[in-house]
Amino acid sequence: MPQFFADTAWFIPCYPLVGMVLSIAWFPSMIRRTGPRPAGYVNAITTFFALIHGLLALPAVLHQPAQYLYLPWLQVAGLDLTLPVEVSALTIGAAILVTGLNLIAQIYAIGYLEMDWGWARFYALLALFEAGMCALVLSNSLFFSYMVLEILTLGTYLLIGVWFNQSLVVTGARDAFLTKRVGDLFLLMGVLAIYPLAGTWDYNELAEWAQTANLDPTLATWVGLALMAGPMGKCAQFPLHLWLDEAMEGPIPSTILRNSVVVATGAWVLVKLEPVLALSPVVMNTTMVIGALTAIGGTLIAIAQIDIKRSLSYLVSAYMGIVFIAVGSQQTEAALLIVFTHALAMATLVASSGSIILNCITQDLTQLGGLWSRRPITGLSFVVGAIGLAALPPLGSFWAMLKLADGLWQIRPWLVGLLLVINGLVAFSVTRTFGRIFAGNPQQMTERSPEPLWAIILPMAVLAGFTLHVPMILQHFNLLPAWADLNKDVALLLTWSSLFGFSIGGVIYIGNYVSKPIQLPWKPLQDLFAYDFYTPKLYRSSVVGSVDVISRITDWVDRYFVDGIVNLIGLSSIFGGETLKYSNSGQSQFYVLTIAIGVIFLAVLMSWSFLTHL
Amino acid sequence: MLSSLIWLPIVGAAIIGFLPSRFSTSQIRTGAVWLSGAVLLWTIWLLTQFDIHNPGLQFREYLPWIETLGLNYELGVDGLSIVLLALNSLLTWIAIFSSSVQIDRPRLFYSLILLINGGVAGAFLAQNLLLFFLFYELELVPFYLLISIWGGEKKGYAAIKFLIYTAISGALILMGFLGLVWLSGASDFTYQSVLGQTLPLSLQVILLGVLLVGFGIKIPLVPFHTWLPDTYVASSTPVVMLLGGVLAKLGTYGIFRFGLGLFPEAWAKLSPFLAIWAAVSILYGAMAAIAQKDIKRMVAYSSIGHMGYILLGAAALTPLALVGAVSQMIAHGLILAILFHLVGVIETKVGSRELDVLNGLLNPIRGLPFVSSLLILGAMASAGIPGLAGFIAEFLIFQGSYAVFPIQTLVAVIGTGLTAVYFVILLNRTCFGRLDNATAYYPKVLWLEKAPAIVLAILILFLGIQPTWLVRWTEATTTAFVAAIPVTEPSAPIVQAMPIDSPRLPQ
Repeated sequence: MPQFFADTAWFIPCYPLVGMVLSIAWFPSMIRRTGPRPAGYVNAITTFFALIHGLLALPAVLHQPAQYLYLPWLQVAGLDLTLPVEVSALTIGAAILVTGLNLIAQIYAIGYLEMDWGWARFYALLALFEAGMCALVLSNSLFFSYMVLEILTLGTYLLIGVWFNQSLVVTGARDAFLTKRVGDLFLLMGVLAIYPLAGTWDYNELAEWAQTANLDPTLATWVGLALMAGPMGKCAQFPLHLWLDEAMEGPIPSTILRNSVVVATGAWVLVKLEPVLALSPVVMNTTMVIGALTAIGGTLIAIAQIDIKRSLSYLVSAYMGIVFIAVGSQQTEAALLIVFTHALAMATLVASSGSIILNCITQDLTQLGGLWSRRPITGLSFVVGAIGLAALPPLGSFWAMLKLADGLWQIRPWLVGLLLVINGLVAFSVTRTFGRIFAGNPQQMTERSPEPLWAIILPMAVLAGFTLHVPMILQHFNLLPAWADLNKDVALLLTWSSLFGFSIGGVIYIGNYVSKPIQLPWKPLQDLFAYDFYTPKLYRSSVVGSVDVISRITDWVDRYFVDGIVNLIGLSSIFGGETLKYSNSGQSQFYVLTIAIGVIFLAVLMSWSFLTHL
Repeated sequence: MLSSLIWLPIVGAAIIGFLPSRFSTSQIRTGAVWLSGAVLLWTIWLLTQFDIHNPGLQFREYLPWIETLGLNYELGVDGLSIVLLALNSLLTWIAIFSSSVQIDRPRLFYSLILLINGGVAGAFLAQNLLLFFLFYELELVPFYLLISIWGGEKKGYAAIKFLIYTAISGALILMGFLGLVWLSGASDFTYQSVLGQTLPLSLQVILLGVLLVGFGIKIPLVPFHTWLPDTYVASSTPVVMLLGGVLAKLGTYGIFRFGLGLFPEAWAKLSPFLAIWAAVSILYGAMAAIAQKDIKRMVAYSSIGHMGYILLGAAALTPLALVGAVSQMIAHGLILAILFHLVGVIETKVGSRELDVLNGLLNPIRGLPFVSSLLILGAMASAGIPGLAGFIAEFLIFQGSYAVFPIQTLVAVIGTGLTAVYFVILLNRTCFGRLDNATAYYPKVLWLEKAPAIVLAILILFLGIQPTWLVRWTEATTTAFVAAIPVTEPSAPIVQAMPIDSPRLPQ
């Protein structure tokens, strides 16, 4: 029986697609009588089916080699676009994670968007994301991954723009679309460029090709950089990171998904492309440098944010940066492990922050406080998420970071140091957020704040539960290191860095010893972090500005030069005609004169050769 | 069989034009819809009968006409023309369907549109250069009248501009044809008889250049494009659908059939230049579109950019790029038609096309949610998002041309990014944002106005998900086009073959 489900695993993305198509029926212009809510229930059910399908297929693929299915799509003029489906423990596991988190987010949305009218659109888009992510993990081809990533770019645009009445939402959706599209187009360039070289887009064949490929280093570098740029956009890495911050204008249920698994689509493609990227050391180093910069920069910015969602979203960029470091140092297993542990912990954090935002109406950290006694379940979930995120044993991230740090220990010890700093800053940052929400005295906005509807509490608690169980899941799949192989130095250092971050954060933000808001000694530095390294200004003055200026110039040239010449010709012919009509005076002397001049001119012209030889 | 595609609409046009006055506007409209529907069904039947593995001409018809001139009535279809015929029949039907029920002077309007349908079909079918030219010129006056009678603001200026430009285009094409036939000493103007011409390369390049400019005006390519924004903006919705969806394809068809088909050597020689020209067109169209404030003008400029992809595919001369270019013609026709239709609906309902005036149309209660949703779909299809018809066509072109012209292809990829920029500007300003409640008393969008957009949207989605249906009729023919190119490597072998008194000879 499990084998049947494994053979039909390609159908997993189709469940949400069915849900998506069905929810069209509840668009406001279709069914109004029932209200939009049935769209949500339908999608939750189809997502549940997808999850069950994945779970049933899992036993058949555990500890088995990957199976491949091939679905023909397009054969034209020598180009064979067949969709290869990889069914393995990894891909099915990833699909289960995606569908599971989707189910939780959709139930969460039933509570969170109780008063919203846009259910059909919202759920249809969530389903699109679910289908896209499942298709991404199951497809074993760079081309189809690119297709899915592009469709998800459009999905991001629409999903962020769900509340399109608000101007910040509109700009956020626009920036997300364009930033991701920039990454996608570089990826497209890479996709185009690699096919003539490798002759395939299948990941495993690309990996085989990369082992024996004898490529010009410059070419390999360019192709690798282009391929890396796509995941950079998706994973919100410097300098394409701004969209994730602006995407926080969208509804929380979609943020749960975006911060946990949607950003991870980029990481997934990056991991799959690692053998190709490894062809050029320049690319690998760039990957690492970008990851390191984002990780450090992201955590520092996160600490300076006063918006709950933004302070969490920059940590997502930071963790994806760590994934970039992992891939850049060829530790793909550690990369995937970080993606997994981060997804659950971050989802828990976002879910509990959503529970706060819904009832306190504000997401401004400076207006919150003193909620610990009022919101115990949310508070506990936040703590679980925080500990799950920073590397504190025995929860998940510790083992993932340990694996990465262990791998780096021999080859690049300085990166381990960097990792410890980042980890400490992450711990500090989440403690700061926790302290500003839960510790201190209640403020005006938090005075009356009960726990919200079960539809929010239940998914949040389930997420916290999963976060707590991550070590057992890892244990079950033999992903934990044996005690004997444990690199105890690294483990201790990681634990210390987390404890250090947590305790300093605790002293400052939970214990009431320091007056807030805290000012850094140097104001410009604080502004640099608070305003996100001035990236919006940087965009505006570089890419956006230049496109704007060039387009204006083009328009001007078009109007006044190209079209101007056309109109000039038209005008001058009219003018010429108008002028010439005065020559028809009716006096025969004038006509004779013109004829005479013409004859003389012709005569000179025809006898020119004779005249010159005189 | 093929003649009916030409004469059914033309005879229909004559009948509708002279209907007595007791027939009401809606009856005339119904008649035109049924007539064009019959043409569409006939085309679909032809598609089913077409042998997709045969790259040559099918369903040929021959009737001697003026043999002293070398002008004969010769028709035939291959994989290139059949898909364009289908596009022509479909878009004509949709244009008639989407025209306003209370249109002024309905007899003249519908008969002109049917005349255009017949004429375009004739141009796609003609296998004689002069016959092609006659049909090509047949469009000119109906379009002039359609623009100048039913057009919007500045219609007189636009119509004259269109007339002059297109007349010049026709003159250049005739010049090219006459030059080709007379210089090559062919017995008549039959396409097959000039096919294997062996003119000197320099002469070929000159003739091809003349044709390129002639068809380039029609497509249009930068810098011969300035008639397009004015004309498109001034035309009414059904007319602009035909202008952008079908008439522009006459230019690209001409480039394929008479440029690439008749001058393969010269084409191969000019192709690097053509690829650069294509890339410039793409960037220029996109950049100019970004700066527009009028959504119809923005869509018009997008058309200029998208035509560049077709030229890029044609320049690359690989089977993949050519089939991609033909697919792009179809995809572009469908996408442009849906965009212009929706822009037209917005204009009639909201009363404005200005980006600064429109806002929040996605609002489910008082906005135009259905139109806005389809506008998002159309815009994203145009921006090349996968899953919609525009993507696969562009991708095939890119993949096919990358091996030959990597730099130009990458520039074209940047062009698709810029396409996304202006469409996001368009969507953000029109669909997103807050609807102004004071002004939002829009008339209801009628089912009649939704239907054409739904048909086009379904086709765009279907061809995006199942692109096999986009390429299956064309593949054999375009592959044969490439096979007909005598030397695949441009320039180098030709240069070697050129010297007549080479020193090797005495040995």
